[in-house]
Formats: sequence, structure tokens, C-alpha cells
Amino acid sequence: MSDDPKKPKDPNEIPDPPKPSRPSGEIDRRREPPTGPKRRKEDELASMETQVFRTVRQQERQRLEKQRHVRNAIRAELAGDAPDELTRMAGMEDDGLLDPVIELDRVSLKFEVPILEDVSFVAHTGETIVVVGESGTGKSTILKLILRLLVPDDGRVMIDGDDITDLSFDEALDVRQKIGMVFQGAALFDSMTVYENIAYPLREHTRLKEDQIEERVREKLSFVDLDPDRVMHQLPSELSGGMKKRVGIARGMANNAEIMLYDEPTSGLDPLTTGTITRLIMKLQRELGVTSIVVSHDIRSSFRMATRVALLAERHIVFFGTPEEMTASEDEYIRDFLGGF
Amino acid sequence: MPSVLKRINEAAKDKVFTVQDYFTLAWNSIRFIFVRPFYTSDLIQQMDAIGVGSLVIVLLTGFFTGMVLALQSAVQLKTFGATIYIGRLVAASMLRELGPVLAGLMVAGRVGSGIAAQLGSMRVTEQIDALNTLGTDPIKKLVTPRVLAALIMLPVLTVINDMVGIFGGNVIAVAYVGIPTSLYWRTVWEQIAAGGFSFHYVPNDFMQGLLKPFVFGGIIAVTGCYFGLNTKGGTEGVGVSTTRTVVSASITILIVDYFLTQLLLAIFSG
Repeated sequence: MSDDPKKPKDPNEIPDPPKPSRPSGEIDRRREPPTGPKRRKEDELASMETQVFRTVRQQERQRLEKQRHVRNAIRAELAGDAPDELTRMAGMEDDGLLDPVIELDRVSLKFEVPILEDVSFVAHTGETIVVVGESGTGKSTILKLILRLLVPDDGRVMIDGDDITDLSFDEALDVRQKIGMVFQGAALFDSMTVYENIAYPLREHTRLKEDQIEERVREKLSFVDLDPDRVMHQLPSELSGGMKKRVGIARGMANNAEIMLYDEPTSGLDPLTTGTITRLIMKLQRELGVTSIVVSHDIRSSFRMATRVALLAERHIVFFGTPEEMTASEDEYIRDFLGGF
Repeated sequence: MPSVLKRINEAAKDKVFTVQDYFTLAWNSIRFIFVRPFYTSDLIQQMDAIGVGSLVIVLLTGFFTGMVLALQSAVQLKTFGATIYIGRLVAASMLRELGPVLAGLMVAGRVGSGIAAQLGSMRVTEQIDALNTLGTDPIKKLVTPRVLAALIMLPVLTVINDMVGIFGGNVIAVAYVGIPTSLYWRTVWEQIAAGGFSFHYVPNDFMQGLLKPFVFGGIIAVTGCYFGLNTKGGTEGVGVSTTRTVVSASITILIVDYFLTQLLLAIFSG
């Protein structure tokens, strides 16, 4: 049957585990394909797959490390010429010394009671900023200000360097096309199918032909890991919570938005689906370089996706920094908020 | 004491702002009829929902109102031996008043509440915000097609209501009073002709009866949209908006009907 002398006696015996980490990023070519029985072969294949994954991840890590080195080198060099500003930026923990995409500059807003006071932060290209805070602290209001569904009483909101505070209603509609928004309950139009929902911004603002629209819809659905043929003609009411959220993300990115805003993307979802949505948000940032603002009170998933975290309390941003800085903070309120995370 | 005055002041201000918002919405919805993009498919869908959807209740309302009118007037006219005038009475009441007002009230109940419930639930599930975010003006996309559809379809429904009502009167006239159909229709026409004609051919009664539903249609759709878009407080809020729409629209129709009648009488009789 087989001429492999090392064939295990027990067919259920697990083959040798793959060697731990490898110093170089090369794929291990020494391992020959197994010639044992079918089961052993399958196990071998599975372990090889893990091996390949690990290697690819390692290569990716090395690539990022290299980029960071280059960037730091550039920063250091530039800092010599313009010490003040650039040294400050080089000192920042942000990974992308890039253009500011979203800027809130001393924004204040009140309805009957003050909601936000003197709120400022900047999101650079490709960053994911997670706004956390207790319920009712005006987290979602920040998203509405960025979308210019609300106008601040004081201060400025800028998108791509343009002040959007004083725009007319129609001009604001144009700005919103750069932005994809994912609502807490997905806010899919329930009288339209999934296809029509995602096609909506395309039909509204582009001159794409119907076959191009369909291609785009399929592409976006595949991106969010949904089978286009299965869900395209379903109504939102036929979808599960997690699927709705994914369709919501697909609709938000249909127009190839450069900014994505998420309002409580993981609230009301089970832990597994929460993981899926979190990975999806990270995928958007990684593969498409989208700048994101996420409003959330789910600390665990926030810390996974955030490049920086803004903590909102008592109408102010009381902390703005990386997740690591936040966990290392000695501030009592922050410690309470993290609750032993 | 000052706190009471302050409260009255604020309540009054609140009401004034509500009226202002209402008329701003009405004005914008009419203005957007002429501004691109046109949502033609939404308009047709709404015309179907408002017009075709209300056909059965309007047919039933008209038919039974015509019958009951004929029946009541027959009893009264019999005492004077003037049952021959049943046709005139039914035609005058249906064309001038009952046709438009009853069609308006029925549509307010059926369509006004539907509009408020739909827009209200779109508001509470953030679909209105989503429209805004996707670069669409919700008034243009949602309110204008509904208002325009109601402006077009309510006069149509009224004409149907009038016709069915007069036909219902015919049935009673023949079956209960014993007036032949030809005589009934001749008295109906006499009544219409007695009102005079606009543009030589269009009976004044008919003109009056068509102007009213046009106004009522606007009232129903704008009221439904106004309360729908301003829904607050989740699903309970949707219920509140729906109720408010039906009550407000019905009362407004009856009040506006009185003043409109005075105005039209002054124009057409004066």
C-alpha cells in the first residue's frame, strides 16, 4: 500500500506539529508532501496551510516594519529643517504622517443643554479613530457634525482641509458623497432589495450603466463576505442583524468613499459576528486606506481596530491617544472606564 | 407669575414655529416639483398607492352616501309632493360638498396615516438620516412625490366619488321612490346647468368640486409628511404621529372647506 516506513500504526495519530516560528520569512520547502494514508495527507496539508499563513503574516509584518523605519528616517531628516511642527508630529504615535482628512477644531454644540464643548481632534489618511464614552455623552453627535447633519454653534469642522461649517444644504450633499456612513441599525431602506440599497448612491450620483452598477454591487457584497447571488434580491427584513450591518457597510462604501463613519457597529451582535464586523472594518482600512471614525462602547473590539482612541466624558474629550497609551494611563476615570480591561 | 407668562410665551412660540415649519415644508415640496432630479418612479408608485389604493373605499363611500342622500331627501320631499327634485338635491350635495369632503376625509384616514407611519418609521430607524447621508434631499425624494401624487389623485377620486354617489341616488330614486332613470338624470343635469358654466363648457359646480380636492390633497400629504418626518421617540412616536395626522388633517379639511366654500361662492355666484 505505502512504502513509507514511518507510517503510524494508529491511523488517528496526529502528525508532528509544525515547527514554531521560523527566523526567516521563507516558505519551508524541506517538508516533502506526505505519502502516507489519506488522513495523514490531509493533516499534513492543513498544517502546511497554517505554515503558509504564518509566513505571509510574518512577511507583512516585516514590510510594515520596514515602512515604519523609512518613515521615521524621513521624519528625522525633515525635523532638522522645521523642528517645531515636525518634531511634534514625529513624536506622535500615529503611524501615518499624512494629510489630515477630518478635523474638528474647538467644536461646541448645544441644544437645550450643552452636548459638546471645545472638542478638537484630527484624523489623518488611513487612520481609524474610535470615539468611546458613556451613553449619552454625544458620541453620535460627532458623526452628525462630520456629516453636517448638524452645524456646530462654535468651532469648525473640516473635511479634506475644506471648512464645511458654512456650507449650504446642497453643497453639504456633495461633501457627504465622500463619506460612507454605517448606522447603528444599518438603516437599510426597507422598501428596497439589498441590490437596490447598495445601488442607490450609484444611481443617484453617477452615470454608471446598469451592468456597471451590478458589477459594483457584486464587488462590494463580495468584499463584505456576502454571496451576491444569494442576498442581492432579498429584502432587508429577511436578513440577520450581522448581515444587515454588512450590507450597510457595502452601501456606505458603494461610492468608493474615502471616509467611513460607523455608529456602534458592533452593538447588539453576538461575539462571533462582532469579530467579523471588526475584521471587516480593519480590512477596509488596510486594503482601501479608508479613514474611519468609529463610535462604540465595545472596548475590546475598539482596541483591536483603533489607531487612536478618543474618550468623551462630560462634553469634552478627556483622552486622545493610542490604545496602548490608554491602557497604560494612571487616570482614575480612564481606569474606571476600562474596568480592568 | 413670571414663570407662567414665560411658559405661555414658550408654548405660543412653539406653535408659531410649528406652523412656520409646516408651511416651509409645504412650500419646499411644491417647489421641488420643478427642480431636478425628478423621482418619476416614486411619483407613479405613490399615485398607485394613493389613487388606486383608495379606489374601493371611495367607491363604497360614494355609493352609500348617494343612496342615503336620496333616501333622506325622498322622505322630506314626499311631504311636499316634490320627490321629482331628488336628482337635483343629490347632484348639488355630491358635487359641491360631500364628494370632495368625504373623499378627503376617507383619504386622510387611509393615506395620511399611511404616509405618517411610513415616514415616521423611516425617521426612527434612521433611514431619513441615511438618505441625507447618501446625498439625497429627503423632502425631494419622499415628500414631493407624495404631495404631487395626492394633488393629482384626490380630484380624480372625487370625480369618481361624485359619479358613484349620483348613481347611488339613481338606484334609490328608481327602486324606492319610483322615479324613472331618464327623469332622474334630467333633473341632475338641470341642477348642474343651473350653476352656470366656466369657459362655456365646464359647469361651475364641477369646478368648485375639483378645486376643493386639490387643496385637500395637499393638506393630507403635507400633514402626513410633516408629522412623519418629525416623529420622535421610537415606535410609540410613530403611533402618535399617525393619530395626529388623521385628526389634524380631518379637522383642517373641514375648516378649510368652510372658508373655501365662501370664497368659491363669492367667485362663482358673485
